[in-house]
Amino acid sequence: MNWTVPRRAVAAWASVLAVLALTACGGSTTASTDGGIAEEIRMIGIRDQTGPVAYAGVGAARGAELAVAEVNEQEYLGKGVSLVLEEIDSAGEIERASSEVTRAVSDSEVSVILGPIQGQQSAAVAPVTESRQVPIVFTQSASDGVVIGDYTFRATAPMHTFYHHAAEYLADEGLTDVAVLYNSTYPTLAELAEKHLPEMAAAEGLNVVESVPVQSTTQDFTAQAQALAGKEPDAVIVLLLSSQSVTAMTQLRQAGYDGQFVGNTNNAGGNAAEAGEHSVDMVYPVDFSAAQQDPEATRFVTAYQERFGDLPQTYAAEGYDAVWWVARAIRASGDSSREGISRGLQQVAAEGFTGAMGDLTFEGNDMRVPGVLVRWDGERENIVSD
Amino acid sequence: MQELLNTLTLGSIYLLFALGMALAWSTIGILNFAHGAIFVFSAFSAHFISDFVPLSMPAIILISVLVGATLSALTQWLAFEPILKRSKNHRSAELRILIGGIGVAAIPIALVDWATASAPFGFANSSYSTQVYEIMGLRITNTSLIVIIAGVGIAVGLTLWLRRSRQGLGLRAIGVDSETASLMGVNRTVMAIGTMAIAGGLAGLAGALQVFQLQAMGVETGDQLLIKAFAMIVLGGLGSMAGVILGAFVLAGAESLIFAANMGTWVDAVSFGLIFLVLLVRPQGIFGRQEVRRT
Repeated sequence: MNWTVPRRAVAAWASVLAVLALTACGGSTTASTDGGIAEEIRMIGIRDQTGPVAYAGVGAARGAELAVAEVNEQEYLGKGVSLVLEEIDSAGEIERASSEVTRAVSDSEVSVILGPIQGQQSAAVAPVTESRQVPIVFTQSASDGVVIGDYTFRATAPMHTFYHHAAEYLADEGLTDVAVLYNSTYPTLAELAEKHLPEMAAAEGLNVVESVPVQSTTQDFTAQAQALAGKEPDAVIVLLLSSQSVTAMTQLRQAGYDGQFVGNTNNAGGNAAEAGEHSVDMVYPVDFSAAQQDPEATRFVTAYQERFGDLPQTYAAEGYDAVWWVARAIRASGDSSREGISRGLQQVAAEGFTGAMGDLTFEGNDMRVPGVLVRWDGERENIVSD
Repeated sequence: MQELLNTLTLGSIYLLFALGMALAWSTIGILNFAHGAIFVFSAFSAHFISDFVPLSMPAIILISVLVGATLSALTQWLAFEPILKRSKNHRSAELRILIGGIGVAAIPIALVDWATASAPFGFANSSYSTQVYEIMGLRITNTSLIVIIAGVGIAVGLTLWLRRSRQGLGLRAIGVDSETASLMGVNRTVMAIGTMAIAGGLAGLAGALQVFQLQAMGVETGDQLLIKAFAMIVLGGLGSMAGVILGAFVLAGAESLIFAANMGTWVDAVSFGLIFLVLLVRPQGIFGRQEVRRT
């Protein structure tokens, strides 16, 4: 077919208008239009069930599934009222996440979206849900531009808000000379290393002897390990992705370094196990650990194990607390419409509540957690401080 | 001196990965974008078996090489050969093979992703252990020595085989003109499947040695190396195995120097910028020849 430029332009514009029409025709009606609580409240979970961070998406979906089952069994929202959660795989693609969120906001039966876990996906869909006034609760998604208004919420605390546990531990142990090896292309880790960690170090009297950036594509750390080992720091703070951390710790030991390793949440849930003896005794702060002993956390861990057969990771706790935040919001506002849920989420955020991750507080629509410092003993996490 | 040793080790890792890709591209004209996936899947297969049965290093390498060779040969037989037969000319076949390779790669990667939940995997259950030697102030591990010997040894051996053996000359003939080579008695299909098996075996070897060297591999590792290998082959000059060797060590040297200057954030920008500058002066690559597309 020999299309001319004007015909192509018309076709392109027609496609754009068709998409806009699709999003517009859905309206904002939800299962509850009279301000009360509907008998069936439909939620859509759009997260990566496949792709590079599938572990986080699968974990969040499992946590959410458990919370939905508990809410319904307890008849928490009233007799005969049930939450219904449908999970959709965004497969690690921004385009697919955007398309599924657009479809969900156009479906008037969907009351709330449990959002993507990748920052780039979440930042892409946040303006859509905000403009269509549909509440969305993200987990993970540490990027800027995710929580941008009254309808966007996040049930994961930024790592820097609980990383102070690590700085305090180092000061308490007298490990004052620290070196930092960090991934400068991963925004959460880069910001922590370049902005928050120097502030924490100054507050705790730590001396950062060396700070070495690498990229996400860096796989061999021999040169960096030798440079850092040569500085003979008391501790090396490893702010890398999971497979990078394994290599870096191994090569630091091979370079002669025998001090303390301090990791990050990417090492949680056994991701450092492949480093074998080199990762033993590494400490890292997390927003949730299955080793936590507070009553709400142990009840969650037991229920999760009964349902899925293994220990929950941090992503599951986040998904679980996100659904309980929504359930509390509906009960607080007495309204399961999109507007009612948004209002309720803000009401609950203003008061805070106790979830699997502990006593949860909020800065606006953004969750904050107490966090805990754990030690990896080669097989499991143990609580160091909380 | 330590930087030189680090460059030699890093360059050998790159070289092992790039050799198989360069062999297939420069002889039978297959730019296999599934090479990274084969590399990851081979290492994962060895990891999977070694989780049940503690294995020695040679056994793990053997498993990885066999899986890589089988997967690569099957890719050629079931995916690339049908594409070649149905394509009108070599140019359209190249593009389809490239896209076909990306499609094939998605399957083993999805399997590894599913099995590991994106967590890093290694050979923790292996009986092999890394030893560190300190000689005249230089630190090197036994694994680094194995990687360097394997990388340089196989690269030199492969170069000599392509230049001097009857099969190597046959392969190079296919690279120049496959139709004329067929008329001269070279069985292109058999040679192509055999070449892909060797390329896959090299990917398996590289995968296993990389895991021993770096302790772990992530599911995304193959993609990251694929881009670097592509750059090395183009820098060295397509069709020249010596060029691949040089490309690998130039890239590793540039990276080591940038790391030594604590400018890790710029490693890709400077390394690939350097390659870009070389190609501006010599578009055919350092050892490439302008008049012949592949030899």
